[in-house]
Amino acid sequence: MAALIHRPEYARYDFGPEHPFTPARLEMVLDLLRSLGHAVAPVPAPAATREEILTVHAEAYVAMMEALDRGGPREAGVSHGLGTPDNPLFPDMDQATRWLVGGTLHGARLLLQGTERRVLQLGGGLHHAQRDRAEGFCLYNDLAVGIKALVDGGLRVAYLDVDLHHGDGVQNLFYSDPRVLTISLHESGHYLYPGTGHIQEMGSGAAMGTSVNIPLEPFTGAADYLEAFEMVVPKALAWFRPQALVVQAGADAHFSDPLGDLALTTQAFEGLFRRILSLAETHAENRLLVTLGGGYEAQVVARVWTLLYLVMRDLPLPTELPQAWLDRWQHLLGPDLAPALHDPNPAFPEPQGQEARTRRNRDIVARLLDSIEPHWSSRS
Amino acid sequence: MLVKDKMHSPVTVLPLTATLGEAFAIFEAQGFRHLPVVDQGRVVGILSDRDLHFATSALCASPQGAEAPVTLAMSPHVLTADPLDPVEDAARIMREHKIGCLPVMDGSELVGILTGMDLLDALVSLTGVTKPSSRMEVALADQPGELARLTAFLADRHVNIHSILTSPDPNGSVRTVLRLDSNQIRPLADAMRAANFEILWPVPKPWPH
Repeated sequence: MAALIHRPEYARYDFGPEHPFTPARLEMVLDLLRSLGHAVAPVPAPAATREEILTVHAEAYVAMMEALDRGGPREAGVSHGLGTPDNPLFPDMDQATRWLVGGTLHGARLLLQGTERRVLQLGGGLHHAQRDRAEGFCLYNDLAVGIKALVDGGLRVAYLDVDLHHGDGVQNLFYSDPRVLTISLHESGHYLYPGTGHIQEMGSGAAMGTSVNIPLEPFTGAADYLEAFEMVVPKALAWFRPQALVVQAGADAHFSDPLGDLALTTQAFEGLFRRILSLAETHAENRLLVTLGGGYEAQVVARVWTLLYLVMRDLPLPTELPQAWLDRWQHLLGPDLAPALHDPNPAFPEPQGQEARTRRNRDIVARLLDSIEPHWSSRS
Repeated sequence: MLVKDKMHSPVTVLPLTATLGEAFAIFEAQGFRHLPVVDQGRVVGILSDRDLHFATSALCASPQGAEAPVTLAMSPHVLTADPLDPVEDAARIMREHKIGCLPVMDGSELVGILTGMDLLDALVSLTGVTKPSSRMEVALADQPGELARLTAFLADRHVNIHSILTSPDPNGSVRTVLRLDSNQIRPLADAMRAANFEILWPVPKPWPH
């Protein structure tokens, strides 16, 4: 079994109708699960307190967010990354973000208490938020707050980020902390926001070797992606021996996502999620906390995160999508969606240059391992 | 960006009477790679860690010892910079003379030192690569107003530009690399293509979507 965390207040984290990070994505998933006949009963978690936010964020930044909620001057946000097209201001944003942070933190506490072994936070995954500023649709870093709670509870934590984008906020917040291993697979920072996540970023000081980055070429598909994953992730976990695994399960590495160029299919995501469950069992003392993340194509995120829920709860996967659900969400899904949980196979014609792409992905993994394995063996 | 913005200050120096052993101790403790040698306020030489290694190596014909004066190993031909010189001019001088640093003189006073590492800092800062951002490449026609058309398009959409670099392309266009404060440059690139910009990156997806 797995606990599901969500509450209606998550919908308040809303940058407006023109923005890709829309809370409708969560409603669609819950509605699809219920339409498939699952009695979804989410755990409502409390909002994170100011003190809990301050475990990873700078006081000046939090005070500025609070001031904006009270109607403070909008210009004050600019130096903290707010009021941009990526992070536009919206009413009560401090409080709205605390609901999301509270959910992830509650998931961490369920693992610490031992009441749950698998937790899915249906929201959050704000991996770009930095100590003192908002970045890339992310205002507070719920993942970092959850990880910090696990670490303070005495656990060594591995963080795995399969979002399309580099998990820079989480990496930066634990870059010199040897108790946290961060692993991010993403489209290479040479080509995609935020521009980091290069193989040379490996941690600092006593934490050298505890930041692992797997940057992939644009248009990398499932086979290359899963091969790179297998080459690095099990090895890193076997070395680090975490006692909990926190996963950011963004769905934007899908081939249809409008903000990037990786090319996973729903079948690849299913395989990835099943592999993550088995790695949590064998390498992380069977403690697993999964959040959502990026993902900006409605029909993709609805299917991928539904898959995630069903896989985490060991439930059977349906082949078809219910017609009533399709009708209800057609304005977001688009008219041409095939009523199937999985993508067609093949989902798209193989892009040119596949051989060179595979070679470059293998080269980058080999170079990463050449650089990082000496740090692992010297600290084991 | 001027030399004074990127130089290191204050400067650790060696007196003319210093020995190689004393210089070695400073290199080892401080991690410097260049030390100006000063006589009565005037810079009379530069001792690099490489100069020291060569002069004292057991592999050379007559290795110097720790008591030898720095004057035996230093380079006595010193080029200097002014704090108000643009960094690109300092970079060109260092490259042409294949040297690793320039002492910075304000009048007769040694006020700083500019090293190759400082120039790398300048490059990193000029490209805006230290800020979370997206990299876009545009080929502009080499004619007046094209860059203005590009920046006006971005300004209309409230997209902040962290940096903008242009270089001539062999085909006659101007290759323009932008660092943008946005995670949404693929939809932006589509809109720019529709407005007749030639976008080299990001490219459209190679499959229908």
